[in-house]
Amino acid sequence: MNPILLISLLVVVLLGAFFIPKQIKERRENQRREEVEDALKHLLDREQQGRHASPESLAGALGFATTKVLKILARMEMQGLIEHRGVELHLTAEGERWAIHVVRAHRLLERYLADEARLPLEKIHAEAHRREHGMTPAQVDAMDAALGYPAHDPHGDPIPNKDGIIAEVEGIPLTSWKKDQLARIVHLEDEPEIAFAQILAEGLRLGQTVRILESSPERYLLSDGEAEYRLAPAVAANVHVAALPESMLALADAIPLDELAHAEKAEIVALDEACQGFTRRRFLDLGLTPGAVIFPELKNSFRDPRGYRVRGTLIALRREQANQIWVKPITAGAH
Amino acid sequence: MTTPNEILNKAAELRGTLSTGFRDEIVKSLYSESEAITNRAVHAKGEKTYDLDQRIDRIVTSPIFGLPLMLVILAVVIWITVIGANVPSNMLASGLFWIEEQAATLFTNLGAPWWLTGFIWHGVYRGLAWVIAVMLPPMAIFFPLFTFLEDLGYLPRVAFNMDFLFKKAGAHGKQSLTMAMGFGCNAAGIVATRIIDSPRERLIAILTNNFVPCNGRFPTLIMLGTVFVAASFSPVYASIAAAGSVVAVVVLGVFFTLIVSWALSKTVLKGEASAFTLELPPYRSPNFLQILYTSLIDRTFFVLWRAILTAAPAGAIIWIMANINIAGTSIAQHTANFLDPLGFLMGLDGVILLAYLIAIPANEIVVPTMLMVYMGTGMMIELESMEALRTLLVEQNGWTMLTAVNLMLFALLHNPCATAIITIYKETNSRKWATVGALMPLGIGVVVTIATASIARLVGWV
Repeated sequence: MNPILLISLLVVVLLGAFFIPKQIKERRENQRREEVEDALKHLLDREQQGRHASPESLAGALGFATTKVLKILARMEMQGLIEHRGVELHLTAEGERWAIHVVRAHRLLERYLADEARLPLEKIHAEAHRREHGMTPAQVDAMDAALGYPAHDPHGDPIPNKDGIIAEVEGIPLTSWKKDQLARIVHLEDEPEIAFAQILAEGLRLGQTVRILESSPERYLLSDGEAEYRLAPAVAANVHVAALPESMLALADAIPLDELAHAEKAEIVALDEACQGFTRRRFLDLGLTPGAVIFPELKNSFRDPRGYRVRGTLIALRREQANQIWVKPITAGAH
Repeated sequence: MTTPNEILNKAAELRGTLSTGFRDEIVKSLYSESEAITNRAVHAKGEKTYDLDQRIDRIVTSPIFGLPLMLVILAVVIWITVIGANVPSNMLASGLFWIEEQAATLFTNLGAPWWLTGFIWHGVYRGLAWVIAVMLPPMAIFFPLFTFLEDLGYLPRVAFNMDFLFKKAGAHGKQSLTMAMGFGCNAAGIVATRIIDSPRERLIAILTNNFVPCNGRFPTLIMLGTVFVAASFSPVYASIAAAGSVVAVVVLGVFFTLIVSWALSKTVLKGEASAFTLELPPYRSPNFLQILYTSLIDRTFFVLWRAILTAAPAGAIIWIMANINIAGTSIAQHTANFLDPLGFLMGLDGVILLAYLIAIPANEIVVPTMLMVYMGTGMMIELESMEALRTLLVEQNGWTMLTAVNLMLFALLHNPCATAIITIYKETNSRKWATVGALMPLGIGVVVTIATASIARLVGWV
């Protein structure tokens, strides 16, 4: 056999022997870490709901066979993350600390993906889930600071702070809310995904003010004053609402900037809750702050975008953007 | 004594008590404070009106005049660039090539071996000289004109008018401006995408900028339009047909930009439309010194420098390929023969593909490289008369109408030049996106030319 061929074959085999087991080992370790972290999240979730986790509930949540779950649990117990009390599973202090770290990473990532990367809302959960593993506490702290210490994720879930303290979940399920009373959507449960997709498909979003028009075992009928929304009661239970804060009352007779007639002057009341991160910063930078006077000055032959005069400058906004700015028309007599 | 850590801890503690809207409050108070200062310091006589601005805006954004006005301005800018660059380009070329000749003679007289003289002067130097001669004048004309329109305040109105198209494609209206810049130079167009502030839309604009034919490709398109397309019409319509074919290619480029932007925003670059905020500044008379500085220093020389860096090695490679023979034939010829089957499939030939391969630093030197291989000369050349060109291509090398049309398509749809690829890499800081930016247009070009060639052959046009 050709000696050169022989040597190169040898080199390839040696290189393989060095690197491939290492890679396989790394991959297996990563996978194990993900399994443990997902299990931790489930246990934390159960504890917060005041229910007890069991190997069966874990198997259901992770989609694994019970035998595999038992192996994962054995590993976790060895690492000192969980303890058995009879048939009940409990997180140890160390386990809870780690679980909260993962939840914090997940919710901060969701905030980032929604506000800065501008991923559609129905996509952020899966993407954050993919990226949450393997982040160090220092990286999560840095992300928290870069995002400006947000309090809630884009679904309204509270984000744990640096010390692992999680605020109470605001609001009560829509199904427990009184009919005809104004409510603000404070939380949209993102699991199960099908229910969340339905909520988004209906067009409901965080921060929206709604009223229950009709509730029956078959459906819930909501209104935000313009459009009507229909939800199945099981889905409606995934929408959490709270009473309107003082500041929202000012929005009562405000209209979206987009609906302003040409050259009609108005005063900006507020930027919509749904508009966060990059978009909100941009608006504020341009001087679109509450109290500023604005009016549509430049029409577009294609309807969109429209030019608005604010603080002496002309700024063009698309309809979707203008819809996120609430204004109150100034009547000629008032000013 | 308060330590920095105590302050930080206090801040962290207070942060929890802040209401969610505190950022809005900060900006609001900044604005009201500066408003108060302005009101105290600046006194206006009467209320400021924007009558003139409004009147101009009504014309440039009107449904009837808006778009035609934009197209006319763009056409005029490109026309001035192409026509105006001719004379200085020729002067630069004859000056720089005169130096080449003198230096080569000097080297020969000093007894330097032929390959050293050839490599340095007919290879590296000639590559450099050619790129400078053909790139500098058009850019030195195009960029000041473009910067003039920018300074005038007209360009944001173009973005305002065109946004409806880009919105449908999931892109940003300002992409129309980076495209317009791309007519001058794709690398400059890619740098110009910095005006798009959201990363997703900016990446779309970067990756699709190459679908706009740049200055370097216009001469090729015009040459093909004149020699081939115009020749098949009666003399009366010849120049209209030539111009029409170039315009058709440009329109096709815009079409591909929008389609690919749309496809990207629906697949790999999926996301919601970001904040579209476009400031429409008041019109003002431009500052000419400022224009010259921005356009020449920031744009022309910036791009030219990158082109020079890649032109020198390419000049060397082109010379080596044309002058080193294996079994009596140059490496260039061997490679062209090897590429011939693929070339045939694409309705082109091996020499054309070879030229696109080795003339990657600048689109301007593709045709000279092609002619070099066709004529078997040792260096890049140009033919003076269109008639001689036609004879060489059609009678000696079997070009048909299909070759010309597909070359026009391929000139539009192929990988960006090395300068543009480097610029994509620098702007995105990612090898992945630079690779995508290079291979995606090439892939589309191969598919499109193979499709047109197959259809033409099936139907029996060729």
